Amino acid sequence: MRKMKKMLLMIVGLFIVSLFSFVQAQDFPTKDLSGIIMWGAGGATDNVVRALTPMVEPHLGKQIVLQNKPGATGAVSTQWVVNQPSDGYTLLYGAENPQLYRVLDISPLDYKDFYPVNITARGVGLIACNVNAPWKTLKDLFDDAKKNPGNIKMGSTGPGGLPYVVGAMMKATHGLTFNAIPFPGEGPGMTAMLGGHVQWMTVGLTAGREHVRAGRIRPLALVADEPVPGLEDIPLIISAYPEYKKYLPWGPFYGVWVKRDTPEPAKKKLVDAFQKGVKDPKFQAFIKDFGAVPMNLYGDGADKFLKHWQSVSCWLLEDAGATKVSPDKFGIPKP
Amino acid sequence: MEAAQAWHYFIMSIVSIKLLAMVAVGTLAGIYIGAIPGLSVTMAVSILISFTFSWEINPALALMIGIWTGGVYGGSRSSILLNIPGAPAAVATGFDGYPLAKLGLAGHAIGLSTTASVIGGVIGVIALAFAAPIISEYSLKFAPRDYFLLAIMGILLVGSLSGESLAKGVFAGALGVLLSMVGMDNFTGQGRFTFGSVGLMSGIHFVAIMIGLFGVSEALVQLHDISLKAIKQDVSRIFPSWRLLFKHMYLIIKCSFIGVGIGALPGAGGDIAALLAYGHARRSVKKPMRPFGKGAYEGLIAPETANNACIGGAYIPMLTLGIPGDAVTAVIIGALYIHGLKPGPMLMIDTPHLFWFSVGCMLLANVFLLIFGLTGVRIFAKMVEIRKGLLLPIIIIISTVGSYAINNSIYDVYWMLGFGIFGYILKMYGFQVGPVILGVILGPLMEDNYRRAMIDQHNNILGFLSQLVVNPLSLVLTLGIVITIVGQTQFWSWMKRKVWKSKKEGI
Repeated sequence: MRKMKKMLLMIVGLFIVSLFSFVQAQDFPTKDLSGIIMWGAGGATDNVVRALTPMVEPHLGKQIVLQNKPGATGAVSTQWVVNQPSDGYTLLYGAENPQLYRVLDISPLDYKDFYPVNITARGVGLIACNVNAPWKTLKDLFDDAKKNPGNIKMGSTGPGGLPYVVGAMMKATHGLTFNAIPFPGEGPGMTAMLGGHVQWMTVGLTAGREHVRAGRIRPLALVADEPVPGLEDIPLIISAYPEYKKYLPWGPFYGVWVKRDTPEPAKKKLVDAFQKGVKDPKFQAFIKDFGAVPMNLYGDGADKFLKHWQSVSCWLLEDAGATKVSPDKFGIPKP
Repeated sequence: MEAAQAWHYFIMSIVSIKLLAMVAVGTLAGIYIGAIPGLSVTMAVSILISFTFSWEINPALALMIGIWTGGVYGGSRSSILLNIPGAPAAVATGFDGYPLAKLGLAGHAIGLSTTASVIGGVIGVIALAFAAPIISEYSLKFAPRDYFLLAIMGILLVGSLSGESLAKGVFAGALGVLLSMVGMDNFTGQGRFTFGSVGLMSGIHFVAIMIGLFGVSEALVQLHDISLKAIKQDVSRIFPSWRLLFKHMYLIIKCSFIGVGIGALPGAGGDIAALLAYGHARRSVKKPMRPFGKGAYEGLIAPETANNACIGGAYIPMLTLGIPGDAVTAVIIGALYIHGLKPGPMLMIDTPHLFWFSVGCMLLANVFLLIFGLTGVRIFAKMVEIRKGLLLPIIIIISTVGSYAINNSIYDVYWMLGFGIFGYILKMYGFQVGPVILGVILGPLMEDNYRRAMIDQHNNILGFLSQLVVNPLSLVLTLGIVITIVGQTQFWSWMKRKVWKSKKEGI
């Protein structure tokens, strides 16, 4: 009898506790949130985050306190967020990089460990060359590269970056090789292209578009499978070479994540708030000016996009010989 | 653009009370943000981006320019008073600024650094206003090999900073270069000296090293004579005499040009400009008023002029090409995007007011810098007179807070403390800490650009060496380095004597 009583007490206790936590989750958020940005101040990720967050805060009713924790292409931030409690109060603001951590042996984590609250936007690559370079079209560049393997100077931003992966696509489909000179980011690479220290580079539309408009660089192709509004004059890579279709859409992307095992009510509240924030006309105007393609994906739809991205990128890097561990080992399928 | 139109944009920030107030508030806040080590202008400006999201662009920019101008200057305060550079650009300021404070001339040093900063800042603004297109074209000419040569030029400063023994100086400099290599290699993604830790993949933050080696190690050294009474600070005269300023006007102008030039280069910023200017002063001033490293005014003027002239310089590629001239302009470019502008070569055509408006704000910020910089100096200088038993713990606390603030990471605090103790040991054995920081700052610039230049030549060392003399710009830099090195040798003085003699005989 005594035992029964004890048991009953325990059950009631558990019930109360669970009820309490349920109520608490319903009220999420009860305090300010913390947003960890995986790239430094002034980068593309930072810009998107700082434009988006003020749009989301009113829908949450609380502030999101932003902090940049850059380092190891964002692995420092992913590690930090994983070490926080799974209560939905710590957001990871990130870019595409974690999807390459395992094959580059940077960290065992990637977005499989996080729930995509919102994949906000993605960037589009622009293949462009110095105005003094002899090529007028992408075909000219490819023909020249076939004749002079490894000699044409290409600006890069290190393994896994946009220029590197587009270079790897060219190697995989056409066997083209270039003399890739790495720079610590797109800005310095673009500067080198303007000064003629590298001949061509794949740059983000954000920065590239303005230089095209001023006639300081020559656009050869967009790394996209559908036209970008306002840039219909620049040919798509697939109109000259349809075999690139299987890789696309590919490009850097920006979004916000929480730990996978965050309680459902918190996830739902966050997803709703970010959906509303991203739809804000002011933010949409920013994204358009920024030269990015709005996405606003979450949950399963976002996971599908992330998986495709990972499979394309990891296998391209594997074929280019840039991986440390084969994607096979992690069960990442070929695209 | 019509002159009247330009004038209208130029005085916009002066005639509007709101904009005037923004610049003033920004400058004042900047001085204090800059003075606290670990809090950087980059950080402050990026926080302002979210903060000013709903504002119009003009007040937001006015505030940012103010903070930037104040912040670059503010770093010198803590450098002079406590030997903790508030920002990397103030490292060189401490070489002669801190000895001045030790002589009881902290007030005088702050006054001089303020005046030098303002003159440098104004020359930077003038360069921006009248020579922006030319300077931005020149900045594009710099190839990786030229950045490599610049880094070599800077690293030669080790010779002047070694103290008693050149060998120890070279050792310390090499150690700094080694420290800068820790972390993920940008070219290959390979971790170096990381021992498998994710934390070390991002390297050891050089500001943590800097705060430890300068601030904490100096505090530890001071413990030796804790009972010694603090030096009485002479605060009777803050503003430097006109004679002193005129005497050094030539040096100030030269260092401003160094600042503008380096600032306009997208791959180098205020820290490198200040170090190069300091090196230049050491070589060109033959008879300083006090020996360098012991409180020479020239050694304070040179870096302070250069790092503030850098601001105008860094703005040049940003406004004309949309390319960041340094870390702060990178953040400001982000702010321009967020405010719906399109940084790039078309920026000045799309939004013509931006150029002269920025010039106006910068000039105004320098005026406020002079006002705020020269007020309250007495109180600051008196800070050094605090009993050591109180001052030293304060230094340790500031250092701890500052190093935590860099990346909000406790590891940076551990590194800072570790390097504080390590710096103390170095000093006890007659090694200077200056060359270590020099190596840490210039190491990546040297290494990355050397590797880039080599890749460019398909790893052919002969091709690389010939590039150093074939290209006119590289040739000038190479010659500069050769002359600097040869100028220090016996051979040079022998040659000089010989030429002198033959001239005499000729007469």
